[in-house]
Amino acid sequence: MKFLDQPPRFLFFTGKGGVGKTSIACATAIQLAEAGRRVLLVSTDPASNVGQVFGVAIGDKITAITAVGALFALEIDPQAAAQAYRDRIVGPVRGKLPEAVVKGIEEQLSGACTTEIAAFDEFTALLTDTAITADYDHIVFDTAPTGHTIRLLQLPVAWSGFLEAGTGDASCLGPLAGLEKQRAQYQAAVEALADGQRTRLILVARAQDSALREAARTHAELAAIGLNQQFLVINGLLPKEEAALDALAAAIYEREQAALAATPDALRALPCDHVPLKPFNLVGLAALRQLLIGTPPHGNAADGEPIELRAPSLSELVDDIAEDGHGLVMLMGKGGVGKTTLAAAVAVELAHRGLPVHLTTSDPAAHLSETLHGSLANLTVSRIDPHAETERYRREVLATKGAKLDAQGRSLLEEDLRSPCTEEIAVFQAFSRIIREAGEKFVVMDTAPTGHTLLLLDATGAYHREVARMLDAKGGHYTTPMMQLQDSRRTKVLLVTLAETTPVLEAASLQADLRRAGIEPWAWVINNSIAAAHPHSPLLLQRAHNELREVTAVATLHARRYAVVPLLKEEPVGVPRLLELAGHVTEPA
Amino acid sequence: MKTIQIFDPALCCSTGVCGVDVDQALVSFSADVDWAKQNGAHIERFNLAQQPVAFAENSTVKGFLERSGQEALPLILVDGEVALAGRYPSRAELARWVGVLEAASATEQGGCCGGKSC
Repeated sequence: MKFLDQPPRFLFFTGKGGVGKTSIACATAIQLAEAGRRVLLVSTDPASNVGQVFGVAIGDKITAITAVGALFALEIDPQAAAQAYRDRIVGPVRGKLPEAVVKGIEEQLSGACTTEIAAFDEFTALLTDTAITADYDHIVFDTAPTGHTIRLLQLPVAWSGFLEAGTGDASCLGPLAGLEKQRAQYQAAVEALADGQRTRLILVARAQDSALREAARTHAELAAIGLNQQFLVINGLLPKEEAALDALAAAIYEREQAALAATPDALRALPCDHVPLKPFNLVGLAALRQLLIGTPPHGNAADGEPIELRAPSLSELVDDIAEDGHGLVMLMGKGGVGKTTLAAAVAVELAHRGLPVHLTTSDPAAHLSETLHGSLANLTVSRIDPHAETERYRREVLATKGAKLDAQGRSLLEEDLRSPCTEEIAVFQAFSRIIREAGEKFVVMDTAPTGHTLLLLDATGAYHREVARMLDAKGGHYTTPMMQLQDSRRTKVLLVTLAETTPVLEAASLQADLRRAGIEPWAWVINNSIAAAHPHSPLLLQRAHNELREVTAVATLHARRYAVVPLLKEEPVGVPRLLELAGHVTEPA
Repeated sequence: MKTIQIFDPALCCSTGVCGVDVDQALVSFSADVDWAKQNGAHIERFNLAQQPVAFAENSTVKGFLERSGQEALPLILVDGEVALAGRYPSRAELARWVGVLEAASATEQGGCCGGKSC
């Protein structure tokens, strides 16, 4: 593995949820420790299974993994770190200020930015504090801060605004105001990150177009800040031998090879390693030791038992949605889980039943909306370009509100406008024009704002409810956009996920966030299921068996209703394949 | 010297970038605060989301929140007494509280040196 060659002190693994960062970070730490180095493995994965992987309870104290030479591990829970931070700010006023005020403050501190900065705060010490880290040759992190966080930390004006004067200028640095460390310490941490002698960044991706595009974005963003020591790892590649064993495996192999061939140019320049899909679960030392070294292709593959998966199809969910005759359907989930495709499948299913449907997507590739346009009489398709919308919003804000700012104030406003919230708000504003149609027909969208954003947008939510209550008492009729989203007869949110541990946990946290805003997700949809595709190849059977545990968790712990959508041999483009995806059973003639 | 205390609502940012719309009043007010400071005013700002203790410990502010709720912020105190609520003061109002002539602001806000640290 190239990324393990002459490794520097700090190794960061980054990539979206479910690509296998934690497994690769663990395997790396084991390999280095067994080569005689003293290694500290740091996990900030909210779903950290490092303890489970090694069979040791770890938690927030550095813990020796005695089974492996000089390996130590530490789990930082970013949610807990954010909660501790909130308690520090809000705790002293609880019971002293009105409850509505306290809740409002907590919401302000509940965004993704707070969690990320709180996590960064937690591991700053590991990058700078020599007393804690002097003992270790290598510190391996299964995560990395985003470019947005690092850039904010680099802006001097962000600090002068917040920490010194305490006047408050930046949105995303807000959380830092209550953090205890000194500016110099954050600065030292950022310097360590940008020092190629000390830090190596390993981008982890799957051989999928969307995953590779995202890796290319992360690469460019972090390289621009000075993290130039970058490596690429493509994880979970299906070996060629499997392709001969069943048609689905052959299709997956072809698709992965095509995605690799189309790797974005920016990534081609990076040293790259391929890690093949393994026929075993990546739990326990023996399994992890083998992850980064070649194993015989058919080691101890699955027992070959056929998969028994009894789960509702998407078509069955659509039966219930169709009953209302109109309404808003929003698909929500992390990037890369297939929201756009499933939105199209839901729209086609509804239109196929003769119902009027408007499908509106933010699909960057646009091919989906093009193939569907005009294909069914009562289906209209429109597309919103997230980049164009965000750009328009940014320009508008800078031209109007930024006009009077000095150069430093302007650079801070510009960085604030690069926060993930900005795109979410800009896209949602564009969509909200179309939402009004949902009174007469179905409107299906492949995106939804997070609960946190809704609460901030609805900052006067309490006021809205008050108005509504008073009007109700007088027999008046009044609804706010927020009330429309909270009413499950008018709006159905479908949470999209994959049958893997991290994506399921990510969806659960989106659900918790929506619930905070008074929105109950109507159903969960598990996409790209191999189990639902009835594979024969041993490797795919193994993965299918692993999926069953996640499907059960969704069905019993998380979802009020759910559906499972199989992984198809062909890309689900066009009406017939979208109907196939939904599990649509054609009526016998 | 007069002390002006500004109790801001719990905005995630004083420019309100995260909200539906950036609040122009906040952006302009930040510039006015700088101007007033240069003219000898002692001004403190408290953000409800970051310094809630300052709200809880001041009985005037606490009572105001209990009566009118956070929607009624901002609240401006001059030497501890309520001077304005529900909106940010204009430069003229600041000038009156500080006791300087607004004419001193003829240099006009904006530009490089109306701001913080050029």
